[in-house]
Amino acid sequence: MSQPLVPLQQKAEPLLDVQEMQLWLEKAVAWGQADSPDARKDTCLHLSRLRDFLQQLLTHIHNTSSTTETMKRLPVIGQFLGRLCWNHYVTADATSRRLLFQCLWGLYSEHPSNAVEGKANQWIRKVLCQLTTEEDDTATQTLVKHMGVPTTQYHLKVLRKMVALVQENIGKGCSLLGDLSQRCSCDSILAASEACVPLVTCAEAAPLIGALLQRPLICARAALSEDFLDALSSAYSSFFSNCLLLEEQAVVSMWYHSLSSLEEAVLSLLESVLANTGSTLHRLEQQLAQSLLPKACAQHCSIFLVVNDIFRSILKQLEGNECVKSVIHTFTNRFVRELSLLQPKMSISLKAFFPQSPQNLLGPLLTQPSEMPQESWRHHLNWLSGSLQRLTEEEEEDEDGSSTRLEGHHKVFEAWFLLVQCAHWMQATAQLLVTARPEDCDPLLRLLTFYHHPTNRGHHRAQQLVRAKDAWDHLCPLFSVLACPPPIDHLQSLVALLSPNPQQPSLAPLSVLDLLVNFAVFSQKSLSGSTEILQTVVDRTGLVSEAVCVLGSLELRLNGGSCLSSDSNRVHLRIKALQNTLTHMYAAQSPAEKQAHTHPL
Amino acid sequence: MCKSTGSTNKHQSSRIRTTINGCHTTGAQRLSSCGRRERHMEAVLRNLSSSVELLAVAAHSGEVQQWDKQTMSRAFHWAREVCFLELSRCQHVLLVGLLNNPEVPISIMKMLFDNTSPVNIQQGEDEDLTGLCSHIIQYKSACKVLTPFTDSSVAGADAEVQAGMLMERLDALLSQASKACQAERFLDTVLKGCEGASEHFCQVIAAALLTRTNSAAQTASVNFLLDWLQQKHTLLQLVCSALSSALLIDLAKERLKFRHAYFDVLKKWASDMEYSISDDEWVKTSPNPTVSFQKLTEHFVGLFEACPSLWNDVEKELNNLKISDGDFDVRGLSVWGDLLSEINKGLSIRVT
Repeated sequence: MSQPLVPLQQKAEPLLDVQEMQLWLEKAVAWGQADSPDARKDTCLHLSRLRDFLQQLLTHIHNTSSTTETMKRLPVIGQFLGRLCWNHYVTADATSRRLLFQCLWGLYSEHPSNAVEGKANQWIRKVLCQLTTEEDDTATQTLVKHMGVPTTQYHLKVLRKMVALVQENIGKGCSLLGDLSQRCSCDSILAASEACVPLVTCAEAAPLIGALLQRPLICARAALSEDFLDALSSAYSSFFSNCLLLEEQAVVSMWYHSLSSLEEAVLSLLESVLANTGSTLHRLEQQLAQSLLPKACAQHCSIFLVVNDIFRSILKQLEGNECVKSVIHTFTNRFVRELSLLQPKMSISLKAFFPQSPQNLLGPLLTQPSEMPQESWRHHLNWLSGSLQRLTEEEEEDEDGSSTRLEGHHKVFEAWFLLVQCAHWMQATAQLLVTARPEDCDPLLRLLTFYHHPTNRGHHRAQQLVRAKDAWDHLCPLFSVLACPPPIDHLQSLVALLSPNPQQPSLAPLSVLDLLVNFAVFSQKSLSGSTEILQTVVDRTGLVSEAVCVLGSLELRLNGGSCLSSDSNRVHLRIKALQNTLTHMYAAQSPAEKQAHTHPL
Repeated sequence: MCKSTGSTNKHQSSRIRTTINGCHTTGAQRLSSCGRRERHMEAVLRNLSSSVELLAVAAHSGEVQQWDKQTMSRAFHWAREVCFLELSRCQHVLLVGLLNNPEVPISIMKMLFDNTSPVNIQQGEDEDLTGLCSHIIQYKSACKVLTPFTDSSVAGADAEVQAGMLMERLDALLSQASKACQAERFLDTVLKGCEGASEHFCQVIAAALLTRTNSAAQTASVNFLLDWLQQKHTLLQLVCSALSSALLIDLAKERLKFRHAYFDVLKKWASDMEYSISDDEWVKTSPNPTVSFQKLTEHFVGLFEACPSLWNDVEKELNNLKISDGDFDVRGLSVWGDLLSEINKGLSIRVT
């Protein structure tokens, strides 16, 4: 004992702080069996740090050669663990309980080498036996003994009953609306939610947790404990993949109550959909629906505002990422659908959900193309294009006056953000351009260009507009019914427009590709003629997989009914045929070619 | 285990070795062991009366050193199978015995307390015992955590659950015509076991009597329990004195038989009272339970408020009792007369 620390300190593993152990022991002593409200509150507050400490302790036990050594270094370890065993908040918490038992078994010596280790073994068995088999009173013991129900079943039944009773209690609602001077049943909400901190991962308590979360906020005293929300949020995010605990509505309520859990959920969703860039639009829609977030957004405006803010900032950072745009659009679509399901009950107008968007654009953009006759699209889109042009011109005129410039930038960004959210109109634009007369094409091309290149600061909108017009001028004669075989000069010019340009590497050819695919699908040219052109262009420019992608999303949009075509059957057959051709081309490519041709769009 | 049973224990231990360990033969044999296990079961059932001890011995003997997870599962499975009705406590006895037996291998103990695997409680043959103890501790702890918030249960959540189990047991026993005496014996045994904690048992009885009766079998069980209770005078009096007035009123409203039994108890308490001149108050002569005159009045008032129809008959009855005492309107001469006036006062106060 004269030099107990020397051999221990020679070990490489960091040693547990003896003083910290002493502090935790003092805590454990103060908590007792967590019978008083203060002790309960304090246990809940420290539960997550206690878990960390138990984990450290466990590592320490495993790294120490014997129980005798451990007890020399930490003489109070038995007292500490023993006290925790009788703190119901600690033993109710799954992680704490697991660590606690692991520590006890870590101290158990399979071949005790001295009396101390033998005693420790006895004590460990005794504590665990008592914890399992001891009942509060003899009556319970007798009754359970005679009822023919196994102990586990009995305790499970009591727990379920208790959960139901507490649930009933908190469901009673506020008895004294507004009168803060008197006690009301809401007083117990805070305490009850606190008590649920160790129970957040207990499946049996899920109905109670759901009830707490879904309790209407009618009384100032009915607030939920922050510790409870934090515990729930971290438990939920670690179970995010299988969501085994809470019912849908409870999860929505959790997001409503806890901003951090909502942020966590949105970021997890974005991570999972963006990591999976190869997934189809259909799969994306499924993932979004499964995430419950569109539904939650429709139910609570505040949730939608938070989610939209996250989208806004992601879009600012990754503006050129088509995948992000697609997520935002698909999400908004889903949200609008969920909202319309709730509509009979909805009293809040759309303006509340989109407070920052240009209000004159809101209604026209959120309308689905299928909601109006196709003959009206051109007029609708012309109007949109004109409105957006005015916004961008105002912004550019203000370039000198710095105070209003930021405001102008903001307005243009919000308009563009809304356009991204309502990208179904861009599909309609591309489709209309196929049959547009030369005098009608300018506003449509301007709209398409604005979507892909919203500013002149780095996006070179003006240059892109010229490029798109060029492309359109070549596409029209190429897909003319009369042009057979396709005029070779237009074909070459189109290939040049779509090829990577060393002078302007930042310019993405996507708007042009979008146009090309739409021409192939919607033009009146024969299928074989259209296929030949598409095949030639994408082969020479190495955009096969990108074209497959555009076709895929086009098909889904048409299936979703957002862009109805008068001859939808013919269109679908053409899409299928074009997809087949391109897929075969893609399959025939060598892996190296595939790699080289994959453009970051 | 005490010394005198040592030789029996040894004998039983060797039987257990051949039965439980014996099942643990080669894989091929085990695959076709249905019939074989049936025969083992028969052997156990032949010794039904000693099966509990048998398992207890298993849990206390050194044999368990050889046990593994499969042996354990089998032992628990058996404990459940011999569970028909009488030997329901086998599993519990087995578990307690094992936990107290220092010979149980540490790997088995760790398995019982392991909570890394998800909860898996199924009644099937291959019940997973992993984490069994951890789950028991979890449920018990969670109950303790929630207890302060369950004040809406008049009898208490545990009493309600126990009452439910009690009634299920009665239903089962009474469904067989010949088992009525067994049902009575069962209740007597439970009552005896609850000595020292009778108040809790009263709560259980109250909760049991308030069980919703949806079937004829359940009605029969409630009636059986009421009849049995009426024969147990001490217990009945304890029920009437220990339970909260809210619970008593619920019972009186819900169960006619109880209403009458309750009223009879109150009358008995009243007739036991004598006027103490020194205290200027009616005092109950026999203790167990001690009830003050004021408390007695409250009981009556509560009962009549809950069941107003009862009052019309009772008023006459009490009046007759008062007349038989001489029909004086002076306080301290007839407990019935004084009760009548106090009850009238109580009822009129509550009405206004």
